[in-house]
Amino acid sequence: MENGFGSIAWVLYLPIIGFLIQAFFGKKVVDSMGIAAGRRVMGTLAVLPIALGFVIGLMLVLKLSAMEPAARSVVVPLFNWIDVMGLRLPFELIVDPLSMTMVLIITGIGALIHLYATGYMAEEPDYPRFFTYLNLFIASMLILVLGNNLALLFIGWEGVGVCSYLLIGFWYKDLANSKAANKAFIVNRIGDWGLTLGLFLIVALLTTSPSLVKADRYLSYDQMLPALQIALAHNHGLATAIALLLFVGACGKSAQFPLYLWLPDAMAGPTPVSALIHAATMVTSGVVLLNRMHIVFEMSPTASAIVAVIGAFTALFAALVAFGQTDIKKVLAYSTVSQLGFMFVACGAGGYWAGMFHVTTHAFFKALLFLGSGAVIHAMAHNQDMRNYGNLSKYLKITCWSMVIGWLAISGVYMFSGFYSKEAIIGTALANTHANIEGYQLGQYSGWTALFVAFLTAMYMTRMMVLTFFSGEERWRLIPAKAHADDHGHGTDIAHGNHLEAVHEHGHDHGPDVHGFFYTDEELHAMEHGDHDDHAHHELDETHQPHEVPPSMWFPLVCLAALSLFGGYFMSHNEVFRDWLYPEGKLPILGVVSAEAEHIPLVLYSSIAAFGGLIIGGLWYMRGLPKAEGWDESKWNPFRKLAGRQFGFDAAMVTTTVDGGAELGRGLWQGFDVKIVDGIVNGSAGLASYLGKGISWFQTGYIRMYALMMLFGGAGILGWFLYAMKHGGVR
Amino acid sequence: MLGVPLVAYLSLGLFMFSVGVVGVVVRRNPIVIFMCIELMLNSVNLTFLTFARFHSSVNPQTGLAAPSMMAGQMMVIFVMAVAAAEVAVGLGIIMAIFRLRHTVDIDEMNLLKG
Amino acid sequence: MGIVSVVTFLPMIGALLLMLVPEKQVKFVRAGALFTAVITFAASLFLLRNFSSNTFHFQMAEVLPWIPKWGINYRVGVDGISLWLILLSTFLMVIAIAFSYYVDKRVKSYMVLLLLLETAMLGVFVSMDMILFYTFFEFSLIPMWLLISAWGGERRMYAGLKFFIYTFAGSIFMLIGMIFLGYQYSTITGHYSFNIVDIQAAVANGSFWASAISLQPWVFWSFAIAFMVKCPVFPFHTWLPDAHVEAPTAGSVILAGILLKMGTYGFLRFCLPLFPETLPAQVPIIMMLAVVGIIYGAVVAAVQPDLKKLIAYSSVAHMGFILLGIFSLTHIGLMGGAMQQLNHGISTGALFLLVGLIYERRHTRQFKDFGGLKAQMPIFAALFLLIMLSSVGLPGTNGFIGEFMAMMGAFEASYRGSFGLTMAIPVIAGFGVVLAAVYLLYMFQQVFYGPNTNPENKRLKDLKPWEIGLVCSLLVFVFWGGLYPSTFLKPMESSIQAARLMAINPAGQRPSWEDDTQAIDLDGTVGDKGSLIAGQKIIAPGNLHLTEKLEPVGGTTLHAQRETGAR
Repeated sequence: MENGFGSIAWVLYLPIIGFLIQAFFGKKVVDSMGIAAGRRVMGTLAVLPIALGFVIGLMLVLKLSAMEPAARSVVVPLFNWIDVMGLRLPFELIVDPLSMTMVLIITGIGALIHLYATGYMAEEPDYPRFFTYLNLFIASMLILVLGNNLALLFIGWEGVGVCSYLLIGFWYKDLANSKAANKAFIVNRIGDWGLTLGLFLIVALLTTSPSLVKADRYLSYDQMLPALQIALAHNHGLATAIALLLFVGACGKSAQFPLYLWLPDAMAGPTPVSALIHAATMVTSGVVLLNRMHIVFEMSPTASAIVAVIGAFTALFAALVAFGQTDIKKVLAYSTVSQLGFMFVACGAGGYWAGMFHVTTHAFFKALLFLGSGAVIHAMAHNQDMRNYGNLSKYLKITCWSMVIGWLAISGVYMFSGFYSKEAIIGTALANTHANIEGYQLGQYSGWTALFVAFLTAMYMTRMMVLTFFSGEERWRLIPAKAHADDHGHGTDIAHGNHLEAVHEHGHDHGPDVHGFFYTDEELHAMEHGDHDDHAHHELDETHQPHEVPPSMWFPLVCLAALSLFGGYFMSHNEVFRDWLYPEGKLPILGVVSAEAEHIPLVLYSSIAAFGGLIIGGLWYMRGLPKAEGWDESKWNPFRKLAGRQFGFDAAMVTTTVDGGAELGRGLWQGFDVKIVDGIVNGSAGLASYLGKGISWFQTGYIRMYALMMLFGGAGILGWFLYAMKHGGVR
Repeated sequence: MLGVPLVAYLSLGLFMFSVGVVGVVVRRNPIVIFMCIELMLNSVNLTFLTFARFHSSVNPQTGLAAPSMMAGQMMVIFVMAVAAAEVAVGLGIIMAIFRLRHTVDIDEMNLLKG
Repeated sequence: MGIVSVVTFLPMIGALLLMLVPEKQVKFVRAGALFTAVITFAASLFLLRNFSSNTFHFQMAEVLPWIPKWGINYRVGVDGISLWLILLSTFLMVIAIAFSYYVDKRVKSYMVLLLLLETAMLGVFVSMDMILFYTFFEFSLIPMWLLISAWGGERRMYAGLKFFIYTFAGSIFMLIGMIFLGYQYSTITGHYSFNIVDIQAAVANGSFWASAISLQPWVFWSFAIAFMVKCPVFPFHTWLPDAHVEAPTAGSVILAGILLKMGTYGFLRFCLPLFPETLPAQVPIIMMLAVVGIIYGAVVAAVQPDLKKLIAYSSVAHMGFILLGIFSLTHIGLMGGAMQQLNHGISTGALFLLVGLIYERRHTRQFKDFGGLKAQMPIFAALFLLIMLSSVGLPGTNGFIGEFMAMMGAFEASYRGSFGLTMAIPVIAGFGVVLAAVYLLYMFQQVFYGPNTNPENKRLKDLKPWEIGLVCSLLVFVFWGGLYPSTFLKPMESSIQAARLMAINPAGQRPSWEDDTQAIDLDGTVGDKGSLIAGQKIIAPGNLHLTEKLEPVGGTTLHAQRETGAR
């Protein structure tokens, strides 16, 4: 069955091995080899497994593409995971075009970002911990895409969630970061709720259909998908239910409205994390899920319409919010949310391959933009506010020009990769009538919305680029004094001051430390603190001189720029990408979804959108930072103020759920548990003791009283006995 | 032996028991109370023996009471054993209390008060 | 003396020997107790070795007469339902006693009580006789009560008494129910028997309840109340937070790890197989309480200011999942519930252990006293994180397997509409999983993240090697259970399936308890290795679903009617 595809397991094992090495030996190696050399070794050991995985993946892709299109699906079994009567969930990997596409993205871009991170995180004291998480993330993501059943997908799904949680909260000393991490995990869990219920619904459906029960390992895709097709053929309501539940899961992971809330906050993590997890790979797993389960969606036009509408709305909403952001990473975060919306528009319209196409190109240019922004942030003393940038093209040449390519790609300029995928999406949405509810062509409306959002995208990306790299003035030399106060780096400053004196004053007051739980004063003195706190960076001020980043950081930028420039053209040439993912006959229900809307000159429209956005944006910001977007936020116009706050949506959600939930919890605890249940319990105990108190009056404690009472009792019994005998009561 | 009438035995038992009861109720020294309890137990023993003797039939061949008729005598042995155990425990408790409070006056002790 | 009795009474023998040791020999007492626990654990491994997964009958059974006139005997044995709980008990006891190195107040009494508690717990799990079961069930209260009341925190007297009286009051009903069962057995056969197997056999052929069908719900609830208090199920849970907060660490570990499992074990052992006719009517009530417990426990846990209290309330939620699985009466759900019993024992036991480790250092459990410990104690933080994630139910850890399977079972039962369950049950229960992340992540954040500002915390050393070893030994099972759960699932499967068939099949088609050669085939089809009752096939849906019910034929009609009638 393997046909020589067994080596796919190594793609998965390598990052796991890397993870274990980092976790168990990382700290020791760094400590024993010296900081610089140790970090270099561990950095190499972190990049290597991913790069090797990419090579193996590439070989397997070549092998796979040599096969017949219809036979391109190989299952590699590893071991039995869950195996009880009636449910067998083996741990097996699937090698097919969809999974291999994602494998290449994950390992390829993953390796580049790992390489970048060795430079970006070079000053980080917790270096091995970072790569531990990052390697674990790659492993989880690979399980997600390679797993051959939904339960395995769910392992990866939650695994990447945890890694994301850990990496967002990487700089844990700032409580805001860990709050963002919690938010990400919890909001994702809401999505997971939908995903599990969808999974259960599939199980319940398949197992109650008499013809299908005997199937072994029926949750594996190769058995489940055909079975589903039969089972759902006459049950559109159920198809809609399953599709929507799965889509809830996708919404969580892929940050669609209203579950997008976590993604902007997730920018608290280090920038390579934002690039890898929150732009290129993890957030696209929702699209992967929809591609994997496309049969279900194809059977439900209603669900498809909802997917498309949510996608379009998210795209629009996030694009608008992006205008109100001043943090360079936040702009990119909202643009990611918006681009993910595009992908869902495609999936809703039935063009699943177009969604995946955009996943791929988006991985190129968004990773590029994030890494570029990381380089800028690195050069600007970890200040992320675009209002403090300007004219950086003079200092950061390589970063600037590679980012320019990313900018043109995301804007959808002709010949750049973003153009092809966006055109495929909008074309698919406009050309097809799959996504409709009772005849309302919601899919097509979504397509038009997407076209408009493409225009907005070009505009806000121009805003970001121009404010950062061009527009004459070097604004970090002009920051008003007040704005300095809001500067935020990692916020580690509070924790960095190790107030030894305070320790001396207070000490611990729990008596002698018999078990050796605490450091003594001498030990505290002997410990060197330099190792922990070498992260001090100087403030951004007038004298700051930005420098170009080291090669380990700009090399990935250049690679990604090349991909952003040419990738789209090569993949759309002769429909290579579509035929690879969905060869003829592999779209069982919808048939071939056309990507060219007739009578609509799409190239013209999207070019107008792209260039319109570029030109308007360019004109607007070329002269420098407008007053209405300046440091003083009270002078902003109402639209930007609202956009800056996500139109109040985030705050409303937090108030209702978090605060409301806490109120509810406290109410239940103090009201129900303590008052009612314990009230009854303690009340009955109180009643008993009240009765006991009354009776205890007899209990004087004097022995003679007891003796006397015994006497009376004995006499009483005897008396009754005599009385009864006399009256014949006894016998 | 059978010359002594049944009522004499029972009267003696009743007298001893009454003395015991009065002693337990009025005396304050626990040792004396113990002695009184002992007196009561012995009065009961006496009664047991009396009834056992007066109600048992004698095997004409051996001149002994039938084993099945020995219940009263058995009971006496049992009571004596229990009494001995009781005294042992009781005196132990009294010793412990004396160590703790340096008095054994019964009226000073009301630990059992509810 | 067979192996089962040896395992059960080894700790008691150890305890008796320890009583002879002078109080002052603290080191010897500790070593002796640990030695006893380890030996017991090793002995219990022999149970595992001798255990056969192919039969649902009790194995390694031993009988000694106790009160034969009333059909009460010392009768012990092991089956798939109890096997892992026995091993969990002996294993957690090793951990608990090892941790108790930190107890320095009245060490001898403490260790003796722990060992006595172990015998009591093991006795509960091995008993095949109801009165013996009851004896051990109540006996386990006494050492635990003393542990809480003597070595506990500030409100220990209140908590100990509440624990004792609450559970005691609940189990009184169970005793009445047991006596009724023994009496009922005598009315149909002419002699008393409190042997579980006898009664199951009589229930299986339908003769048992024939003359007392109207009493069945009452007897069911007399058992259920006892186990619901023990579990605890909402709204009988209020003793748990108090007991946990006040108990010493080893007590908390045992309480969460094993004592609570007595409740779920009781459900599996008594409530499922013995009351088949009334079960469909009672399932919705218990399922509803389970769901309420899941949400309630989670919501209340989220606002607790104290580590132990938070974990205690999380136990209420987790036990809800176990019940959800068990009372779905689907095979997968039952397996999930049974698996979740073990997982909860491991994960929550480990969480209490970790809290105990930090409590020994700082003598506080309030969140406000902590913060930023991750930098100070990185190993501790990493271990805590892993255990916490297992409690959250992260795939790849054991917590996921149980929760997932239990939920799947509940979903399936609701989807089929059996017992009148609605889809609301799994849908709402699913939110419990979300909330689990809320309160556990909140806990982790409060303790480990943020700046380390409290000067007291700045002197803390990381865990010592033996403490790390202690936690890691639990961690092994976290991942073992998550990555290769078959080790744990396989031995349980036959017995669980038998209990389930007792519950859902009509009389005459239930497993035969007289014939111990009969087995349920693991392949999925119908097992008839031995002779079956009246030559009929057991409706043993190998697949977790009642496929046969869809096409009622011949002997299965009754069953189908019950299934659909309940809708």
